[in-house]
Amino acid sequence: MSTILKENESFYKRHALKLSPEYTQGSFTWITTLALTVVFLLSSIDFSEKAVKPSVFGVFTAYALFTLIQMIITLKIKQDLKKLGFIRQSTRMLGYIQLLSIFTGNIFVTAFAFQLIKKKKTPEYVFAVYMLLIQFFVIAVSALNLFKPYVSDTFLPAMFVFLIIALFQLAVLFLIAKEKKGAKVAGWKPFIGIPLLLTALTGNLFALVLGWNMLMEKRNRNNPSTGKWYKVWEKIASNTTSMLGLFFIIFVFAISVCSYLTFDYGMAIENNYSAILQAPSLVYPLGTDNFGRDLFSRIVFGARISLIVGLLSTAIPFIIGGILGAISGYYGQRTDNIIMRVLDILYAIPGILLAIVIIAAFGSNTMTLVIALSVGSIPTYARTMRANVLMVSNYEYVDSARALGASNLSIIFKQVVPNSLAPMIVKATLTIGGAVIATSSLSYLGLGVEPHIPEWGNILKIGSTYLESHSYLAIYPGLAIIALVLSFNFLGDGLRDALDPKLD
Amino acid sequence: MKKTLLPLLLAFVLMLAGCVKTKSDVAEKPAADSKSGGNASEQVEIEVLGMSSGEEDLNIVRDQLVKNGFKVKLNIQPDYGSFKAQQDAGNFDVAVSGWTTVTGNPDYAVRSLFKSGGDYSIMADPEIDKLIDKASTQTAKDYVKTYKELEQRLVFDKAYIAPLYISLKTQAVNKDVLNPKSVRLSKSRSLAWETIDFNDEAKRETEPFILSQANPTLTSLDPIKGNDGSINMINTNMYVRLINLTDDDKITADGSLSRNYSIADGNSEYYFLLRGDINFAKITDKKAVDTGERVGADDVIFSLDRAKDKNSVPDHRTYSLHEHIKTAEVVTDVSALEKVKQSGSDKSVREALEKGLDTPISTLVDDKTQVNNKEGKYQVVKVTTTEPFPQVLNYLAHQSAGIVSKKQVESINTYDVASFDVTKDIPYGDQNTVTEGDKYNNTLYTSGPYILSYKNDYEAIFHKNPGYMKGTEHEPKISNIKLRFIKDIDSSLSALRNGEIYVLYGVPENKQDVVESDSKLKLQSMESNGVTYLLFNTKNRDVAKSEDLRKAVLYSINQDEIISYYQGKKIKAVSTVSPIVKTGNELKADPAKAKEFLNKYLSSK
Repeated sequence: MSTILKENESFYKRHALKLSPEYTQGSFTWITTLALTVVFLLSSIDFSEKAVKPSVFGVFTAYALFTLIQMIITLKIKQDLKKLGFIRQSTRMLGYIQLLSIFTGNIFVTAFAFQLIKKKKTPEYVFAVYMLLIQFFVIAVSALNLFKPYVSDTFLPAMFVFLIIALFQLAVLFLIAKEKKGAKVAGWKPFIGIPLLLTALTGNLFALVLGWNMLMEKRNRNNPSTGKWYKVWEKIASNTTSMLGLFFIIFVFAISVCSYLTFDYGMAIENNYSAILQAPSLVYPLGTDNFGRDLFSRIVFGARISLIVGLLSTAIPFIIGGILGAISGYYGQRTDNIIMRVLDILYAIPGILLAIVIIAAFGSNTMTLVIALSVGSIPTYARTMRANVLMVSNYEYVDSARALGASNLSIIFKQVVPNSLAPMIVKATLTIGGAVIATSSLSYLGLGVEPHIPEWGNILKIGSTYLESHSYLAIYPGLAIIALVLSFNFLGDGLRDALDPKLD
Repeated sequence: MKKTLLPLLLAFVLMLAGCVKTKSDVAEKPAADSKSGGNASEQVEIEVLGMSSGEEDLNIVRDQLVKNGFKVKLNIQPDYGSFKAQQDAGNFDVAVSGWTTVTGNPDYAVRSLFKSGGDYSIMADPEIDKLIDKASTQTAKDYVKTYKELEQRLVFDKAYIAPLYISLKTQAVNKDVLNPKSVRLSKSRSLAWETIDFNDEAKRETEPFILSQANPTLTSLDPIKGNDGSINMINTNMYVRLINLTDDDKITADGSLSRNYSIADGNSEYYFLLRGDINFAKITDKKAVDTGERVGADDVIFSLDRAKDKNSVPDHRTYSLHEHIKTAEVVTDVSALEKVKQSGSDKSVREALEKGLDTPISTLVDDKTQVNNKEGKYQVVKVTTTEPFPQVLNYLAHQSAGIVSKKQVESINTYDVASFDVTKDIPYGDQNTVTEGDKYNNTLYTSGPYILSYKNDYEAIFHKNPGYMKGTEHEPKISNIKLRFIKDIDSSLSALRNGEIYVLYGVPENKQDVVESDSKLKLQSMESNGVTYLLFNTKNRDVAKSEDLRKAVLYSINQDEIISYYQGKKIKAVSTVSPIVKTGNELKADPAKAKEFLNKYLSSK
């Protein structure tokens, strides 16, 4: 027994570099921050005037400082792991310095710092960290409105509430961080869970998951059916890229919700002829467009449409295609033939052309846009579902349910569908990104929402005409689209790994 | 820690609250009142129709209407065809419309647009009809007052249209390749090719001059059968006219078929002394050849007769421009010219026609083969109008009055107009006859400086007319011209910047900075005759019935804001005559008036 342990230890020591999540994340972090630092350095230099922009240069110095510390920490981790096989507490303490990087808005370093500080990370801890980060980012981004000539009427009370929520969430993080793994469920958990659930009203879905988990923890412990989902959360929480993806998605969602209170729609939609094509400044953080509208506000409001259309146009084919696929897979034979052949016809029509036809026929607004994008992808969902159902419906537990006299419908929706969902979820996260791009492309072609409505494709369209003279008009909405799509893809990748039983 | 933080935070928020202004703090009036024009249920909805190419204008109009209490529905159509279909179906309250007066005279700017029964008119107001007719008989000095009255009625009293702006005409030239002084920019007429020259004159014969055009489908190469962007420039350079316009829209005989012209007393008779040094060109083996046939009085008379006659060809698009021509005839009696006095002068028409001639008129001949200007043998054409109408000269300078060969057109157009069959009969100037392929059979006879050799979907090749004013300053400088068809203006601009084309007409406002910052390009610009305005529906909508509602929209329009959006690259307008006649009227935005009229409309409902 002891020899096995010893062997294990030496195995860990030998492969410590590969096994340590801190080391991989540390390397990933310093490379990303270095790239960001270089971007800031380049944009701080005005090449035509041969001068340095002091404000951007200040940001660059801050980033450079944290990158340097990050490199040192990564090196120290490497040494520790090589020498000792584990990371020393003194190295972990350096993470507290890196926590300060939250004030530069560097999510990569901050996320790493939180990981480094805590030796044994539970999914609760990771989620609490990201929950707090989201709240902080929402407050920071909303606070940029302070430089505007005026703010919306609900701005001040809303900011006050957000700050209180942030403090509360900070307290929750402390409590969770102090908790020992495997200990009994603490008595305070259900009481904190309910207010935490309420803070999810700001769009912070991490709070929702965490609050729900706290309420249900006592009940769910040792319940085998929920154990699987806990494993999934554990896997996602340990996957940094998919957590960063999830972070950005939920951040966009939260800022879309909070913008109802803290952003003024007029800034995004009313023309202001005295502020046409202004370069980025504190008042207009991302500059203004050719109608003098604040690009920053437009991108924030545009997130709403992109997310809604992206999610809805994935949810609709998910549900319709899922049901059709389940029915045709379960009943087989003639039912299968009829449903799948009809869907094959739909599948033969190019999706984007179908969307254009639907929009041309019913006019361009958000609802037709959602329908247009949904209809085309029903067949692929149906096919995915059908394949899974064909496999699952042959399993023993389905047979036994049938032997017990369960009705077909109850077998389908209680046994078969829940066990066929995993590939569908992965597919859905991966196609949301495609839907976001499709929305933007249709708007870019002038077929989406009305041109003055802030939508990322619309914003990009205006930017494309000023690509040469005012490139920021195209770069920022472009980055927003890229970041959101990339985030969904990262999340989808993480989900696939987490849901794949073969990787256990 | 939490206990100390909370009061701190409270203090901070309170401090912030003191110095942060909220939206209702800065709003002058209660927001509900100024923003929504009363209750939401009372909000008047205005449907604005436009094309996606005019998205900027639509957005400005939308913004201004919303700020004045309207609810706006946008109806954006991707192209002119669907825009027109929506307009004809009456699916709009106001339509963003544009008009360019290509003839440069004010009558053309109002007649077909606003007169009852006009080609493009959707309104009927006897008062306006009267004013249009009155102004058409007046000379430049007198019609200013009439057009001012017309604008008063059209815009301010009745609000049939709401003007937006006058555009600038812009053109970018590659000055490394072309001599920028040789590239003309004219207010009304299309780009004249014959004056254009390379910096390096040795290239004239060897290198083609390359320019671009958006539309590759040419309506017709018969000048009377088209008046649109696809052929205006081409037909202007393929057919000479009796008279020309200068760059600032004055009538001139320079570069036209006439050596001189004169208006007879009474403003109904017009005399033109023709030049003898222009021959028709034709294409043989894709090369331009001099036919040896002179452009003479019989061709002029033939061309004008068919221009004014609606039934001379199927699908005649321009007869309404020439409806004032009563007759065109050749004058053979020199003494007849001496008897007639010039308009507003004691001198005879003959004196005007002989001004600056090397050899004065000795005889006037009927047969064009007898013409010999050096020996004093000339041809004179007299045009009579149906009523005194001095602006007829502007119409004669339009490309649709281009001179075609009587002999050639009559030999090609042998079909019967009434029973014309598109599938069988091939009319003169059909674009298929010049398009590369089976149907290629170039039968063009052109009187202008250039002739189209052949075209395909990508480009059209033109050659210089070898018999066009040889040895004069009007002889075409560059031998070959390549017209590239580039549909997208951004691609055209890229082509210009890459040196693929040398001239780009119509640089969009937001790209002018780019052109100006390019060292090899030169941007030319001048006020154009193009006016953009809002046209109100006159049929089935509330705006058709209520003058108050129209005026509420009219006074919501703020032209200053439009001009600042276009960074000063637009000019204020009142009506479509604004670029031609300075009437002194001005539309001032007035939110108070807009509100007043809107309330009036609401209470009358």
